[in-house]
Amino acid sequence: MRGRINAGLVAGGVLVGLVVLAAVVSFFWTPHDPTLVDAARKLREPGGGYLLGADKFGRDTFSQLMVGARTTLYVGIVAVGIAAVLGTPLGMAAGMTPRGWLSELIMRVNDLVFAFPALLLAVMLGAVYGAGTLTAMIAIGVATVPAFARVARAATLQVMVTDYVLAARAAGRGRAAIAVRHVLPNIGSVLIVQASVSFAIAILAEAALSFLGFGTRPPTPSWGRMLQESQELLFSTPRLALWPGLAIALAVLGFNLLGDGLRDYLDPKLRRIRAEG
Amino acid sequence: MRRIGIWIATGGLLLATAACGGGSSSGGGGDAGAPKSQTLSVGFVAEPANLDFTSTEGAAIPQALLVNVYEGLVKLDQDGKIVPLLAEKWEVSPDRKTYTFTLHDNVKFSSGAPFTADDVVFSLDRVKADWKLKIKSQLDVVDKVEKKDDTTAVVTLKKPSNGFLYSMATRLGAMFSRTGVSDLANKPVGTGPYTLASWRRGDSIQLAANPSYWGTKPALSSITLKYFKDATAMNNALLTGGIDVISSVQAPESLQQFADPNRFQTVEGTTNGEVVLSMNNGRPPFNDKKARQAVRYAIDHKALLETAWAGRGQLIGSMVPPTDPWYEDRTGDYPYDPAKAKELLGGKTLNVKMRIPNLPYAVASAQVVKSQLAQVGINADIEPLEFPARWLDQVFTKGDYDLSIINHVEPRDMGIFADKSYYFRYDNPEFGKLLASADSGTEQEQTEDLKTAAKLLSDDAAADWLFLFPNLIVAKKGVTGLPKNAISESFDFTALAKQQ
Repeated sequence: MRGRINAGLVAGGVLVGLVVLAAVVSFFWTPHDPTLVDAARKLREPGGGYLLGADKFGRDTFSQLMVGARTTLYVGIVAVGIAAVLGTPLGMAAGMTPRGWLSELIMRVNDLVFAFPALLLAVMLGAVYGAGTLTAMIAIGVATVPAFARVARAATLQVMVTDYVLAARAAGRGRAAIAVRHVLPNIGSVLIVQASVSFAIAILAEAALSFLGFGTRPPTPSWGRMLQESQELLFSTPRLALWPGLAIALAVLGFNLLGDGLRDYLDPKLRRIRAEG
Repeated sequence: MRRIGIWIATGGLLLATAACGGGSSSGGGGDAGAPKSQTLSVGFVAEPANLDFTSTEGAAIPQALLVNVYEGLVKLDQDGKIVPLLAEKWEVSPDRKTYTFTLHDNVKFSSGAPFTADDVVFSLDRVKADWKLKIKSQLDVVDKVEKKDDTTAVVTLKKPSNGFLYSMATRLGAMFSRTGVSDLANKPVGTGPYTLASWRRGDSIQLAANPSYWGTKPALSSITLKYFKDATAMNNALLTGGIDVISSVQAPESLQQFADPNRFQTVEGTTNGEVVLSMNNGRPPFNDKKARQAVRYAIDHKALLETAWAGRGQLIGSMVPPTDPWYEDRTGDYPYDPAKAKELLGGKTLNVKMRIPNLPYAVASAQVVKSQLAQVGINADIEPLEFPARWLDQVFTKGDYDLSIINHVEPRDMGIFADKSYYFRYDNPEFGKLLASADSGTEQEQTEDLKTAAKLLSDDAAADWLFLFPNLIVAKKGVTGLPKNAISESFDFTALAKQQ
């Protein structure tokens, strides 16, 4: 039996669920073609089949938001995937050989990457290899690796001094077996929390990159680029900036709440406190 | 949770791009009410690297200095006509190879030295000897420059050239003092109505009225040219009173902020900038004329201008702006006709690379072009490239593209289509012949030849012309004498004034 479901977890789950729902539905159906330019619908007010109105190109804002959710999730999943797949084994390796040269090497390189701003890396890669969603995702993913490695290492260090690991080592189990059988399952919950937080950061990074013109290529809808394109209309048609801005804020809030909620839900110490109280 | 707070704060900063663009206050700088102490400040987006346009490329230097600080023998007026400036008049010999300029005789440089025919000889010889810009080759046609007397200079050409006098109206014809070229990068010495007062690098240039100017003295005592990195910051500076004039609006939709006629005025004119949808004539699929024609038929130019650039600008249809004497309305050559486009493609679907510079007008136009081309079966994959470095390398130099969009801002630049190594890869010897005969013929022959050339470009669908880039100036109410059209290299301050 795990801990109790808390309000943050529910709110986070609902918000993230909405984003996922919008993205999934957008594959089958959107109210209008999100990239179809139509001068007759330029800056159309909301209503009459256009729930949130249309932008200066006459593209339906609601459809754009739906397809934009796809971009957002896509970026989040790939970036966090890269970070988790690279960062977790590195962190575990460093944690299992705390005084070896390997640990030193991993953590120092880690510090090096950590010191490099993610957005700067993405802008640099974009300038060299061409801007695009993939470049942005790789850059954000690589820049998030240190966060995973650190968390994994700290958690591994704790696990390595537990009785069951000591017993396994005494029984002559190999390092790989210990890592897979004992360490990974026990640091899993920490990694899940880290993943949800990194997800939120990746969403913001993609939005910022698209805002700067280094992210998703036009005309593929992206919340960040929607914000950018609405910039010059900020005073006359503020709703164009409002909706993507709100979408980004709520998605990030959702993933952060989910992360917090999961931490409380999965943390055995908090669970004990709750049980006693 | 802390992270959200920080990120939202950052987002807020990005969005607002803050009103911190303000800066120097405008308005009466000296004695209250005295008309001679009026000042104005004008916002620009690109700051000069230095003040020497004889050795440094970049439009920002002549924009600030030509006509204002430096003057030529002739200048371009607002309609694109060549009018006298330092030369009272000029005569062309019957063989059209000798130009005799008669100079005003009371002209002084800001250093106090008198301006004479010796300075004309010095300045034009200097172009050949000391200038470091590519465009100096425009004056290669000059054989020799001689002084007849103090107020008469004679220029002899190697062959008749209609481009010569036009070049003399650009920075190439700027007159320098024989004693004033030691520090061009910092201390310009010219005969113009203004002189350089101060330059705060990264912020502003201040020009002061030249008290010993030979012509009509300017109405303002000083002008501040204020430089902004960001168009939004410049807009905000005008809204908050930090500047009096926005020299060129970068985001036309933002004009709605300045709609209040009691506070602001908007001036819309033309430029020499043709926003060209370039097609790579040198490789499939656009080495096929039919495919290029299909593109021209497939684009609804009116809708494109309306959506991508807020309807500001003008539809052209070939490589000639309306301010050139050989302009003809060519927008009817390829009316919007998607059915015809499909027919020309013969039911085929094309997949093409649209590699554009990451500039606002290009990104906006590209999305409309993509949507419209998709209707006739051309799938264009948009790839924005960092401008200038990567775009210049990939598209302009290597020619690795199918479609691109760029604003060709150079004046009278139809000749670029005559160079088959130019990134259009357009190759029609007939076009080159027309251009050569235009330059050596009489003015009338020139006009006729160039009209034919422009029609040939359009018929061949060498490219598509999306629209003519507008010149949009916003100023506080009461500012007069704004140069409506941006068709010369300079932002002409000479007529600028402010009503109280």
